[in-house]
Amino acid sequence: MALILFFAAAALTLFASFGVVATRNIVHAALFLLAALAGVAGLFVLLYAEFLALVQLLIYGGAIIIVILFALMLTRTGEYQGETETKRRPFAALAAALLFGLMTAVFVADAGQFNTNVRQPVPFGTLARDLFETWAVPFEIASLVLLVALIGAVVIGRAGREEDETLPEDDGPDDAQEPVRRGSRRRAERRRRGA
Amino acid sequence: MEQAWLIPVFGFGAFGFLALFRHYLPGQGKHLSVLAIVAAFVAVWPVLFDMLGQGIGEYRFPREWFSAGPLEVGWGIIVDPLTVAMLALITFVSVIVQVYSLGYMRHGNADDPRIGWYFAVHSLFSASMLMLVLADNLLLLYVAWELVGLCSYLLIGFWFERRSAAEAAKKAFVTTRIGDVGLLIGVVLLIVEFGTVDIVEIMGSLGDPGVNQAVVTASAFLVFFGAMGKSSQFPLHVWLPDAMEGPTPVSALIHAATMVTAGVFLVARLFPLFEAVGSAQLAVASIGLVTALMGAAMALVMTDLKRILAYSTMSHLGFMMLALGAGGYTAAIFHLLMHGVAKAMLFLSAGSIMHAAHEETDIRKMGGLRQRMPITSAAFTVGALALAGIPPLNAFWSKDEILLAVAGGLHPAFVVLFLIAIVLSALYMGRAVLVVFFGKLKPENQDIHESPRIMAWPLALLAVLAVVTGFIALPIGYEGIGTFLVAQGDKPHPFEVVPLWLAASVVLALVGLALAYVLYGKEDTSRVDALRERFARVHDVVANRFYMDHAYQWTIDRVVLRVSAVLAWFDRRVVNDVGVNGPGIGTVETGRRLRHHVTGLFADYGMGIVVGVVALGALLWVGGLNG
Amino acid sequence: MTLQLLHFQILSAAIFCIGLYGVLARRSAVLVLMSIELMLNAVNLQLVAFGAYSGFGTSTGQVIAVFVITIAAAEVGLALAIVMRLFRSRGGVNLDEIDVMRG
Repeated sequence: MALILFFAAAALTLFASFGVVATRNIVHAALFLLAALAGVAGLFVLLYAEFLALVQLLIYGGAIIIVILFALMLTRTGEYQGETETKRRPFAALAAALLFGLMTAVFVADAGQFNTNVRQPVPFGTLARDLFETWAVPFEIASLVLLVALIGAVVIGRAGREEDETLPEDDGPDDAQEPVRRGSRRRAERRRRGA
Repeated sequence: MEQAWLIPVFGFGAFGFLALFRHYLPGQGKHLSVLAIVAAFVAVWPVLFDMLGQGIGEYRFPREWFSAGPLEVGWGIIVDPLTVAMLALITFVSVIVQVYSLGYMRHGNADDPRIGWYFAVHSLFSASMLMLVLADNLLLLYVAWELVGLCSYLLIGFWFERRSAAEAAKKAFVTTRIGDVGLLIGVVLLIVEFGTVDIVEIMGSLGDPGVNQAVVTASAFLVFFGAMGKSSQFPLHVWLPDAMEGPTPVSALIHAATMVTAGVFLVARLFPLFEAVGSAQLAVASIGLVTALMGAAMALVMTDLKRILAYSTMSHLGFMMLALGAGGYTAAIFHLLMHGVAKAMLFLSAGSIMHAAHEETDIRKMGGLRQRMPITSAAFTVGALALAGIPPLNAFWSKDEILLAVAGGLHPAFVVLFLIAIVLSALYMGRAVLVVFFGKLKPENQDIHESPRIMAWPLALLAVLAVVTGFIALPIGYEGIGTFLVAQGDKPHPFEVVPLWLAASVVLALVGLALAYVLYGKEDTSRVDALRERFARVHDVVANRFYMDHAYQWTIDRVVLRVSAVLAWFDRRVVNDVGVNGPGIGTVETGRRLRHHVTGLFADYGMGIVVGVVALGALLWVGGLNG
Repeated sequence: MTLQLLHFQILSAAIFCIGLYGVLARRSAVLVLMSIELMLNAVNLQLVAFGAYSGFGTSTGQVIAVFVITIAAAEVGLALAIVMRLFRSRGGVNLDEIDVMRG
């Protein structure tokens, strides 16, 4: 039974993952990612990690995917269509395959070293106690990291406008023809993309 | 007595403070420096009375600084009669000189623009010398020794805008450094051989079995070489006359208290070392005698007042070394003290004249100044007579001690030559006094007037001291100076008078003065000119300072500079171009080649990381990660 | 055949390598970020699987997975802020056009 469920979840996850990296439509990619994350959540349940499965769905599905979708919406230029770099594709595939081969080889060779057949559930209470007793300090540090990231994201996200011009420009042909004034740039960009 | 370490602290503190904050103080903080040295002077007396109360001897207050392996280095102090005597002399002369400088460094109504720095270095100079005499170990002593050299450089070259002053400062520094190298090697040899830096310990174990006597001998000579540089002994004396380029109070300080006395002090401090090495002691005596005679001869022919005094100092330093070489520890230090007082006074008088006479130092342009500068001329005359050895002035007593020591410890030839030096010394001093202060006043000097009070008072005080200090040789309240200033392990010897030598010394001094009067007492210089004509060759040699400077110059031009040129070529071409620039250029070139592979593209870097991870992982796995 | 640790390991490796492919081959910064999320998930899966199969009933694997998720959230927040800024300053989020670090 577990095996069947595993294969089902694994198939979903793998299919969705391929979708993420292979689809041409970026919104589809985000949705595929959501599916893959849900598949992983299912696998967590199979491993008796219900809490983690819940966290996975809440944080990834509820927060991260939403943020990514927002980002897509805000940066959408139509450029995303068909944007996989073809020249690099075989090399990337080769590298990924090599790593996969290596990892599989290692796992298979070392498979005998673990008690590979019995999954033990971790009681919810034990997890809670461990998280807030043994791991209390890292937990606090993680909260600090979140805070710093939050502030950093706010600062990076908003301070940019005035300093944008200091970044080096791409020497695209359009830029060379007419110096782009601030503010009109996005429109110019859009015109170019639309053309 | 244990608080004696505080004495140099005042000076160091004043230097540090002035070096940093002098621009924020009124008068650039010159009074602070004077205050510091006065405090040091006051602090000497409790030390002296403590010693007199607790019994004359050697008190040590070790204090650990750091230890390196078996070698322990302290910054403790040693308080013995030698130290106390030097402390008193140094602080006293420094006080006088600094007070005098307050007046001397005023031109018109304005201080010298760098007066704060002048006084700061003065403080450092005195403090370093005080540290030198207090140091109980060789390392601290060497540090103080180098500080003294540095300060002399700074002060001789104080008016560095003048090329000659800068050159003189450089010459003094380099010449004494040549000696310092000897001292450094000697000190290191001693430290290595005895495994300690403590002077008393080293001196106490010189004759121990297992001590390599060759090392002891070598270090005695090397240490003396250092003393030769600082104390201006032949052939390293060439810097002393040139050092006159500094402000005159500096000359007074250098000649009386701080710089040149360091060499004599060093030999005295390490006296057992020289007693243990007979050949070194003989070398000290011989060098001292040669220096004394050469200095006296050159003082006789110079026409520059300050140079006359400089060569006189050189000659008297020769006396001190001669006394040390003869085993006359007491005599040497006694003469050091007496000479210090007298020579400080002479230089300050000379400075007073120069201050009044628009920096003129040529004695041929002076004459009759007695009428215009009564205090100065009285002081100068007292100092000159003292150094000429006329009783009852102070240097008479010390010269007498030296004579006794030389007669008792050395070959008669030394005695004869020393007596000649005494005559010469009276002669050149008589000449200086007669030419400068007597005779007719020159018309261009009509407007000369006595120096301000702040300069005249120190002179008067010194003159009184020059008369009275000599009496400490006599058994007044104690057994004479010979029972106070005693070398380690020597028996104290009470005051004694040998009528023959006493008479000889007085008579010869008077002969010298009489000769001076005969030659220079009249306006008419025909006799001197006749003598000069007669011995033209000799005069030329002496007036050209025995061609020593020429010889050094030739050596520098022909040997040193050529070797330097080769070394400079090696440095530029090999060390710089190949050794230093080589790696730099190599790096730049490598970078230029490699930069084309740095695309700045994220994906390329990611690919690189993956390839690396796969390769490393495979290597680890194949190589047996699991055992 | 029962469900073993090896299954999870191989699955995790597969997800990881798919994510890696995405990181290397995609040009859009947002897509690269998504691929990175995939890789992080693969790691989490590995961690939890090891924890479950360890035989000690330990919670360490899950706890670390929680931390990974935390860091991932922070990372996404920051990275998307950077993407927004990039978009504003350069008019696009194509990583192949961003080579200011070129030697």
